[in-house]
Amino acid sequence: MSSSSLKKTFQVNKKDFIHAGEASIHIKNLLKSLNMNSAIIRRIAICGYEGEMNVVMHGGEGCLTLEIDTEKVMLDISDNGPGIENIDLAMQEGFSTALDKYREMGFGAGMGLPNMKKNSDIFKIESEKGKGTKVQMTFFITEKGG
Amino acid sequence: MCDPKTPSGYVQFNEDLCTGCAACVRCCPTQAIRIREGMSVHLTDRCIGCGECIRVCGTGAMSAPTSELESLKRDQISVALVSPVLYSQFPGEKPENILQGLREMGFCYVVDMSYFLEMFQCAAEEFIARNRENKTYPHPLISPICPVVVRLIAFQFPDLLSHVMPVIRPVALMSREIRRQLVPREPDMTNKTVALYYINPCPTKFAPDRPYFHHEQPYVDRVLGINDIYAELYRHLSQSQGKIAKNGVSGFSQEYFNYCPGPRSLIWGMSGGEIAGMDTEHTLAVSGLRETVTYLEKIEMGLFSDIEYIEFRTCPEGCLGGTLTAIDRYLSKNAVQKAVLKVGAERRVSRREILQLYEKDWFIPKSSLARMTGLFGIQKPPLSIDSLSEIDRLMNLLPGKNCAACGTPNCRTFAEDVVRKKAALSDCPVFCTRQRKK
Repeated sequence: MSSSSLKKTFQVNKKDFIHAGEASIHIKNLLKSLNMNSAIIRRIAICGYEGEMNVVMHGGEGCLTLEIDTEKVMLDISDNGPGIENIDLAMQEGFSTALDKYREMGFGAGMGLPNMKKNSDIFKIESEKGKGTKVQMTFFITEKGG
Repeated sequence: MCDPKTPSGYVQFNEDLCTGCAACVRCCPTQAIRIREGMSVHLTDRCIGCGECIRVCGTGAMSAPTSELESLKRDQISVALVSPVLYSQFPGEKPENILQGLREMGFCYVVDMSYFLEMFQCAAEEFIARNRENKTYPHPLISPICPVVVRLIAFQFPDLLSHVMPVIRPVALMSREIRRQLVPREPDMTNKTVALYYINPCPTKFAPDRPYFHHEQPYVDRVLGINDIYAELYRHLSQSQGKIAKNGVSGFSQEYFNYCPGPRSLIWGMSGGEIAGMDTEHTLAVSGLRETVTYLEKIEMGLFSDIEYIEFRTCPEGCLGGTLTAIDRYLSKNAVQKAVLKVGAERRVSRREILQLYEKDWFIPKSSLARMTGLFGIQKPPLSIDSLSEIDRLMNLLPGKNCAACGTPNCRTFAEDVVRKKAALSDCPVFCTRQRKK
């Protein structure tokens, strides 16, 4: 069994709506070139995109870290933004602290974190008010795509 | 790799005219072109026929494999199928005159597409409305009209093929009907050469994948670019002012073949022209290759599921910006906008009749687009995690300027080619210069 692995980091900038999503697109195409099951790729891309949007809307500077080995894909998204006061509340569908201007753009429906949890196999979130937020997701590579 | 003279079914290449400038290499959306030994080379199984290389080639080395106008003299029964984009190429000229001009050029029959475009729109509305209820196909549905978009999806986003609306395209509906109506008119048809000529601005219609395209057989025999016939048609137009037969110009007696273009068909060639004529509310029109790719990337990430139907055209401004048009796209767009003001706005096909045909599966293709993916062979052979790491390592050695001097569109693709052993690191002149300086 090969012990191959790959790690890549992508920068995500605050309030950069124009480029938001580019890291996820890059990741998606990287996984496609590995011929990974398309259902897993889709789940990872959705989580990456939600994570990027969170950083853009709420977080400060942030980064997306992708780690791939033969059994799993790990996606870490961390930022140095304002942090989440009540994580249980933030995990509820429909709960949102997004500004009205973002909602008008079609974002901030309060589905981001729940969507990420739903689409990943392991979901961990840590946050400290004033310091930032770190989300860690794991996706297991299976034949069916989970 | 393949024979350079017929690089792909969609593009013709003249090696004597190629200077190896790499303009085509840089513009290709699927990275299907390389420069090898000073000349461009196509990777056949990646070409989606967008025509960008034809558009940017400064020397004319790249061209579209359309039919010759010469064959018109040989074909005993010739029918011109006219894309409405043709009218936009003659600002201020009446469509009837243009159709008449084509007859004078030698076509036995000349049919305008308008009726079939409206028919398609009507059927598409019905499909979208039913899909809203039974949710068989995922949102957003994607228009099947632009063949490049469908190929792009088959090649790069195969998961999205299920989004492509399975309704037969207007040109196929039209050619099927023309063949049916020719039988009673031309009793000794089987002994004659019959040819349907599709006159349009798209470089890719004369393609080997035609049978996959919701066309169960190659209904169209020949394809002419608008620029192929422009000069000669222009000459006929200036000679034959107002000599129009009373009962339509098509040569057929059927009313729907003698439809003259209305606003819905006139604007069809403009980006947004397809959806503007449909009463579906949640729609979007996107034009341009780069924009189309960006949207497809996002649809693949689950976005835009609140939109029911998206009209994609890879040519800028829609088909008016097609590679094989004869005049500038902004001039033709203006001509269309002015022409629309002069004609009434209502739809002329009978919705009731179309629905009857719909129930009879008139619009439902027998072929599945999923077979399209097979055209691109075993897509690209997959890379391993180790080769991805190797690509990253090489990227640190490469200049990152995407200059294409190595004959590859950009440094990332070059690194991948090196890892795949399709190129050598020494093909990069910047890398070599740096090595020598060390």
